[in-house]
Amino acid sequence: MLQAASFWDVDNFYQIRMYFYCLSINIYLYLLCHLKHLIMKSRTNLVLKILYILSWIIFVGVCIEAGGSIFSAFYFLYVGDKHARTFWVGNDLSSLYTYGRVHFFAETLLISIASVMKACIFYLIIKNLDPKKISMSQPFSKEVGRLIFNISYLSLFIGFISLWGVKYKEWLVEQGVKMPEIQYLRLGGADVWLFMGVILFVLAQIFKRGIEIQTENELTV
Amino acid sequence: MPIIVNLDVMMAKRKMSLNELSEKVDLTLANLSILKTGKAKAVRFSTLEAICKVLNCQPGDILEFVE
Repeated sequence: MLQAASFWDVDNFYQIRMYFYCLSINIYLYLLCHLKHLIMKSRTNLVLKILYILSWIIFVGVCIEAGGSIFSAFYFLYVGDKHARTFWVGNDLSSLYTYGRVHFFAETLLISIASVMKACIFYLIIKNLDPKKISMSQPFSKEVGRLIFNISYLSLFIGFISLWGVKYKEWLVEQGVKMPEIQYLRLGGADVWLFMGVILFVLAQIFKRGIEIQTENELTV
Repeated sequence: MPIIVNLDVMMAKRKMSLNELSEKVDLTLANLSILKTGKAKAVRFSTLEAICKVLNCQPGDILEFVE
């Protein structure tokens, strides 16, 4: 008891605390120097790795959403009217179901296609952003060019599908069908998708020309 | 491509190997094989000049236009 009391007396405790402070400051300085060095050395690689992890997270989320949309569409087509009010994230589509099963199928098909296309975009991104596959020594490769082209096509496709879905929903509302808001149906932002698709398409064309020039330069003897 | 590179023919005539030519012309083996196999998209005048000088020939002996 006496030993314990002497160990935890004020002077000893102060010394131990000081040791901990010094140790933590040392660790902090060490990490700061080395992390700074690492970040300065390979900032692009670090950013790419972070983007890769983020893409994986988004891909999983979008896949769950796509799977949920498809499953609930087919499930409610099979089960029937009273369950259609719990369509995917609580959207009430019972009114649409009562209006017509064909319309219900068409609208849910559009939602499902848009979700699957979003999942496809992120699949392409994680497939090509793989740190083992992508080479930063030669980033202007045909694969990256093809990736940008594919993403632009998919974005345009999502844009058109969403636009179609929105117009279809508006028409259904005009017919007196009670429909949830567009953003709950995951069909919002059609114009943004179209804008992104067009911008990416232009960038892909420029990228393609850049790759052609690089290939020509490499094959000049 | 309608332009054919007859570098291998000229090398055979002069009995010169690709290694020897690359040393004399000061081009890498990879670049010379690109030229030899007809994969090249363009040839610099300086390269053509060096090859002609070493092989003692005219540019027309190395390059040929075929429809």
